[in-house]
Amino acid sequence: MTTTPARKSSPSRHNLGTVVGFEFVRTIKKPRFWIATLAIPVVMAIIFGLLFISNSSRSASADAQKNAALAFSYTDRSGIIPDQVAAAMGGTRADSSTDGAREVKEGRIEAFFAFPANPATEAVKVYGADKGVFDNGKYEAVAKQLLALSAQAKIGSAAITAASGGNIKVETETYRDGQVSGGFGAAVPPLMFLVLFYITIILLSNQMLNSTLEEKENRVTEMILTTLNPTTLIVGKIISLLLVGLVQISVFLAPIVVGYAFFRERLSLPDIDLRDIVFEPGPLLVGALLLLGGFTLFTAVLGAIGAVMPNAKEAGVIFGPLMALIFVPFYAISLILSDPHSPIVQVFTYFPLSAPVTAMLRNGFGTLSPVESVITIAELFIVGILVMRLAIHLFRYGSIQYTGKLSIMSTFHRRSGEEQHPPAPH
Amino acid sequence: MTAGGAAAEPLVHIEDFRMDFGDTTVIRNLSFDVQAGETFGFLGSNGSGKTTTLRALLGIYQPTSGVLHIDGKPFEPGDGTRLGYLPEERGLYKKEPVLDVMVYFGRLKGLGKSQARSWSLAYLERVQLADKATMTLDKLSSGQQQKVQLGVTIMNDPELLILDEPTKGFDPVNRRLLMDIIEEHKRGGATVIMVTHQMEEVERLCDRVVLLKDGTSRAYGTVADVQDQFGGTVYRLSYAGDQVLPSSTLYDVVRQGGGRAELVPRPGGNEAAVLRELVAAGLPVSGFTTSRVSLEEIFIQVYGEQHAAGRV
Repeated sequence: MTTTPARKSSPSRHNLGTVVGFEFVRTIKKPRFWIATLAIPVVMAIIFGLLFISNSSRSASADAQKNAALAFSYTDRSGIIPDQVAAAMGGTRADSSTDGAREVKEGRIEAFFAFPANPATEAVKVYGADKGVFDNGKYEAVAKQLLALSAQAKIGSAAITAASGGNIKVETETYRDGQVSGGFGAAVPPLMFLVLFYITIILLSNQMLNSTLEEKENRVTEMILTTLNPTTLIVGKIISLLLVGLVQISVFLAPIVVGYAFFRERLSLPDIDLRDIVFEPGPLLVGALLLLGGFTLFTAVLGAIGAVMPNAKEAGVIFGPLMALIFVPFYAISLILSDPHSPIVQVFTYFPLSAPVTAMLRNGFGTLSPVESVITIAELFIVGILVMRLAIHLFRYGSIQYTGKLSIMSTFHRRSGEEQHPPAPH
Repeated sequence: MTAGGAAAEPLVHIEDFRMDFGDTTVIRNLSFDVQAGETFGFLGSNGSGKTTTLRALLGIYQPTSGVLHIDGKPFEPGDGTRLGYLPEERGLYKKEPVLDVMVYFGRLKGLGKSQARSWSLAYLERVQLADKATMTLDKLSSGQQQKVQLGVTIMNDPELLILDEPTKGFDPVNRRLLMDIIEEHKRGGATVIMVTHQMEEVERLCDRVVLLKDGTSRAYGTVADVQDQFGGTVYRLSYAGDQVLPSSTLYDVVRQGGGRAELVPRPGGNEAAVLRELVAAGLPVSGFTTSRVSLEEIFIQVYGEQHAAGRV
C-alpha cells in the first residue's frame, strides 16, 4: 500500500496546474453549470426563432398587403392622386366620402379611402370590410402605397422623393488632433470590454464568493492548508474561474454570431457594418487592462468576503451591496458621457469598486485621458493585488474558523506573535 | 528529512510554545520532541490544547511565541516533508466523486495522475469502497467518508503521520483497520503523532507520550516513564461492604465502589504500609493485588479533579 511519490521538478507550478484543472473540470462537468450556461443561449435561440418566423410571415404579409389587388373607391381633396395610378391599383373615384363609406358598409366594395386636402396634417380616412386583425392592415398599406406612388409621379424624380422623405445615406468624418477620429465605430470595440466585464462578474461572482467559502463549508481547510500553499490555491481558483468565464462567454456569443452571420435580415438584427468599426490600439489596450484589473479586484474582494464569512448565507449580506456598486455608475451615465470631469465622475473613476465600469465607459467614448488611464489601471492592479494578498491571508489564518465570522484584526494581532517566532534555520 | 545529520536531532521540536486567543492563554510553555521513527501519543482531555498545538505546528495557527519545527524548520506545505495529516475536523469536497478527490489530493502531494489513480483504486478495494469510487462523497456514510479521508492522508506514504483522534467515528471493525494501517506505517519507519482518548491503543502503539492539562505538560516520556511518574503501580483491593475508603497520605484513590477500589501509592506508600493502614482503619480487606498503573488510570487521576469540578 505504500508509494514513493514522484514529485515534479516544480511543485508549486505543478500544483497550480493541478488546482486549475480540478477546479475547471469539476465546474464544467456539472449538469447545473450547463443548464445555467445554456439557458440564456437557448432562450435567445427561441426568441430568434420566433422572430425569424414572425418576420418572415410579416414581411410576406406586408409585401402581399402592399401589392394587394383591392376593389376600392376613393375621394381626393388633395389633388395629389392621378386617376391612372389609382386605376392601376384597382381604385375608382367615388362621388363623395359618404357614398364610399356606405358602399363599404353595404358590402359592395372592399374599401374606401378619403384623402384629405392636406395629408401632411390631416388623417387619411380608411374604411374596409373586416378581414381579421392582421389582414385589416392591408387597407392602410394600400392607401399609403397609393399616396406614395402618386407623390412620386407628381415629383417625377426618385432622388427628390428619397431626399424629401429623409431616406438618405450619410457618412460622417470627424477629426481629433488633426487625425480622423473613429466616431461611434471606434467606441464599440473598447465598450465590448465593458460588456465582457459585466458578463463575467454577473455570471461568475457567485463562484468567486464560493471559491474560498467552499473549503470552509466542507471542513477541508486543514487538509488543504497542510498540502498546498494557499496562494497557489487561490490563484488556481481565479484562473479556473477565468477559463470557466471564457467557456460561458463563448457559449453566449455563439448564437449571436450565428444569427448575425447567417440570419441577420430575417431576424431584423441591426445592420452593423464592420467597415464602420474602428479598432484603435490605445483604447483597446486600455479596455483590456481595465477588464483584467477590474476582474482581479472583484475576484479578490469576493474571495476575501468568502474567507471572512462562515457560510454563503452570511456572505450574501455583503455580496448584494457590493454587486450593486458595479451598477452605480450607470445612474450617472449621462454625466459620465457629457461632463466626464465633474467631481462625481472623478470620484467614480478613482473609487476602486466603481472605477472599472466608469473608466471603461469613458475609455469607450474617448474621454479618459492617457494619464487617467494609467492611474486607474495601476490603481486597479495595485488594490486588486493587495486585496488578493489580504484574501489569501484571511483564508490561511481565518478559514479554520468554521462557525463564526472572522475578526480580521485578530488575524493580524496573531501575526504580531509570529515575529517572536525564531527564523527558520535554512 | 535530514540526511546524514546528527541522529539526536528530533523530527518534531516544540519549545516554549505559547498560544493566546485574545485574553485567554490556551497553551503555555509547552516543550517536547518527537524523534524520527517513533510513535508518539499526544494525550489530554477535551480542550486541553492538543489540536491547537498540532495546528500551530502545521502553520495553520500562528503561535503567540515559541519554536515549532518539523525537520528543523517551521512547516510549509511543499517544503519537502512528506506529511500525512488527519485533522480532527474532517471533511473533503462532498459534491465530488470519491476517486476524483483522491486523485486530486494525490497529485497535490506529488504523485503522478496514473499513480494517484491506481493507488486510490487499490486503497478503495482494501477498505471495501471500490464500488463507491464514482459516487460523490456526500452519498457515503460518515464512517466511509472517514476511510476515504484516511486514504487521502496516507497516499503519499508520509514520513510524518499526524492523526488527530483518528478513531473518532469508527466502529470497532474499522478501528482495527485503522490501527493496522498505522502499524504498517510505523513498521515502515514513519513517525506517527497520535491524539487519542483510546489509552489501550496508546499503550500498545506509542513509544512515548506527553500528557497535556490546561495547556501545560503534566507528564512526558516513555509510557513506562509516565507510569512511574504516577506511581508506576496500582493496588487493587476488594473488601466486604460498600464503605468509603479513608483519605491517606500514603495513596490516592483512583476508583472505588461495589466493594472494590484502585489505589495509586504516593511516595513512601509501599504495599505493606498501605495495607496496614487500611486494616487499621477497620476496612475488611478480602483481596489485595499489585499491578502496573494503566494510562487510563493516570488519565482519570489527572483529569478526575477537573471532571469533579466540571471544568472539562
